Amino acid sequence: MLEFRTQGFNGYAVKYSPFVDSRIAVASGANFGLVGNGRLYILGLTAKGIVAEKWFDTQDSLYDLAWAESHENQCVVATGDGSIKLFDITLDQFPVQSWQEHKREVYAVHWNLVAKDTFCSSSWDGTIKIWSPHRADSLVTLPTHSCTYSASFSPHSPSVLSSVSSDSHLRLFDLRAPASAANHLTASIPLHTAANNNNHNNNGQHHHHHHHHGAMPPSEALTHDWNKYRPQLIAAAGVDRLVRVFDIRNPSQGPVAVLPGHGYAVRKVAWSPHLGDVLLSASYDMTCRVWTDGSALGVDGEQQQQQQGLPEVPNGRAGADSLAVGGGRELGRMDRHTEFVMGVDWCLFGAEGWCASVGWDERLLVWDVRQVMDR
Amino acid sequence: MAKAQQRLSQVQSHLASSEADILRGRENILQKSPDDVVVTCALRTPLTRGGKGGFKDTAAADLLAHTFRSLISRSRIDPNLVEDISVGNVLAPGAGATEYRAAALVAGFPETTAVKTLNRQCSSGLQACVDIANAIRCGMIDIGVGAGVESMSSQYGPGAVSEFSELLDNHPEAKNCKVPMGALSEQMASDRKITRGVQDAFAARSFQKAEAAQKAGKFRDEISPMKVKWLDPKTEEEKEIVVEQDDGIRAGMTVESLGKIKPAFQKDGSIHAGNASQVSDGAAAVLLMKRSTAERLGQTILGKFVCSSVVGVKPLLMGIGPWKAIPVALEKAGIGKEEVDVWEINEAFASQCVWCVQELGLDEAKVNPNGGAIAFGHPLGCTGARQVSTLFNELRLTGKRVGVTSMCVGTGMGMAAVWVKE
Repeated sequence: MLEFRTQGFNGYAVKYSPFVDSRIAVASGANFGLVGNGRLYILGLTAKGIVAEKWFDTQDSLYDLAWAESHENQCVVATGDGSIKLFDITLDQFPVQSWQEHKREVYAVHWNLVAKDTFCSSSWDGTIKIWSPHRADSLVTLPTHSCTYSASFSPHSPSVLSSVSSDSHLRLFDLRAPASAANHLTASIPLHTAANNNNHNNNGQHHHHHHHHGAMPPSEALTHDWNKYRPQLIAAAGVDRLVRVFDIRNPSQGPVAVLPGHGYAVRKVAWSPHLGDVLLSASYDMTCRVWTDGSALGVDGEQQQQQQGLPEVPNGRAGADSLAVGGGRELGRMDRHTEFVMGVDWCLFGAEGWCASVGWDERLLVWDVRQVMDR
Repeated sequence: MAKAQQRLSQVQSHLASSEADILRGRENILQKSPDDVVVTCALRTPLTRGGKGGFKDTAAADLLAHTFRSLISRSRIDPNLVEDISVGNVLAPGAGATEYRAAALVAGFPETTAVKTLNRQCSSGLQACVDIANAIRCGMIDIGVGAGVESMSSQYGPGAVSEFSELLDNHPEAKNCKVPMGALSEQMASDRKITRGVQDAFAARSFQKAEAAQKAGKFRDEISPMKVKWLDPKTEEEKEIVVEQDDGIRAGMTVESLGKIKPAFQKDGSIHAGNASQVSDGAAAVLLMKRSTAERLGQTILGKFVCSSVVGVKPLLMGIGPWKAIPVALEKAGIGKEEVDVWEINEAFASQCVWCVQELGLDEAKVNPNGGAIAFGHPLGCTGARQVSTLFNELRLTGKRVGVTSMCVGTGMGMAAVWVKE
């Protein structure tokens, strides 16, 4: 495990460069992001450990960042003062572009992975905006009327994007849909709906799980991510501590997987770039956890074991699994952070399993998921 | 520290729940997007009195040609880039389709600039602007002109409506479509108890506001003066004159002076020449394009078109059109009436306009701040386009942002549109 101290700054987001395998950026804020400056770190993974290649200070705290998919030296940051800034890491000090349209804190920025020429942002002001790095004003504003913690383009389509908000809804927008009336909104999925799938019950055995899949009260959703291999799957999580996986082809059926386990709100989820059933989460409970959603072949076998009454999880977290749906489970956890973990990201290059996490303990940790999976 | 407190309580809510600040409707429409349909130039001729005023001997097409020419020179738009022109007109046969295409060519538009004319009665000028805005919004064209023109001097009269067939005459509601404006407005005024006193007071304010605005030079920027030939009725001599300002605005009008005028339609009626719109001549034009296009061409953006509405009402109650159309437009814009800074509501008759204003609960101080059709005239097809220049001019002079234009429409309709000053 490698470590870098973001001295005086509490981490909010971490992202590996999509172009350079040894480069990581961290968005952070002083005083836990409550008041004071923000800082964007550009870090290099070297033989001598992690070194700060550069940093950029901002007036207000930074809550998220996204590397430009069209330019290896640029990344955008989401700022507490409502601005979005584009930095070029070959330059010093100042952003090359700044956009001030959001009325409140910006919590998410995400680059369009397919078209690569636009990115989106979401804010406490209840809007999502789509931007071009070449334009002074936003291209489109999509209202959610709810504090929107997370917005993301689909990795499979240049015109589809999604968000989750404090109103407990996952929204899907398709920019090809008519703008009028619905503002491109094509689906609004209540995240707290009861699960209504029978996948894990097909063998005819009646087991207690099914009685506990009832609807939960709405709660703030803080994070979501598109599966990199299955274009229809989105994982979402938030205040109610559960990680849920939805199949957007049939949202009314409720989540296809529910993964209980975190002790406090989940701040970030990220699907593996290598394995279609594996995801990582970061939580206020100071842990990062690795999960399978239960869709991989090997896991199905294990699920059948569970249904035959064998011990479900080795660590004895039996209280949580009455909420579980879909046969997914925790594969391991990383508990080296000593404060809230706010961001986590997978390395896109090299051996599958490397990832990085940041938190309020002023630390970036770079670690291998495989090392925490056998505990 | 308030912000830090809010952020802290947000984190607290994550460990237990919270609500977001919502972007209000007005803030929402004030936002700028490259896809906005924007106005980069809006102007008009003076409005002059029908049969007597400066344009009494000028053809509608000539008024329009002059307006187009002024629009090109004032906006510095390359006429080759204008793809379509829509002209609202009521009285010319066929809404002037042939002569207004010809007027566009005279004005310097190339043959590649298409022209259509349309007639939605008194809202024709607005409908023309809306048609162009919608064509831009849906990608049919990039740049267009919405316009309106009317020569009531030469084309107003009984010939404007053809005979109703037996089929129409035998249908009671259909037959109502040909009841003259004056008669149905008298009926509506008495049914809705809009007294002559209320009408005259509204009309007097229109004259007073227009007189003050004209004296202060407030119309100067929206008017393009025009040199015309004019037959002096006293000497029967043809002169060349420059018409620079609206000539229907009478100075010193008061409730008392209006009170002396005889009713026009019924002996015991309440409507007269002083509290109804004037018969007038005039033309107006509005240059529209996408914001991204305007930026690319370096056009000055006056403001943007937000949305519009059209509704139908009973033919005999055509005067209530704005009352029904305005809430629809506001709802489409997502704003409340209190979020509108300036209302341009056509004064077809003081009776219907004041009724709409009162029934909608609008702040009268924000309605027609420079007077309206009672004071300076209502060249039917021109009015809807004229209101755009008057509105943007007023918003610019007062530093206000959100405006609505609206009018009642003969045969029972109403239109409204929401505009935002840049």
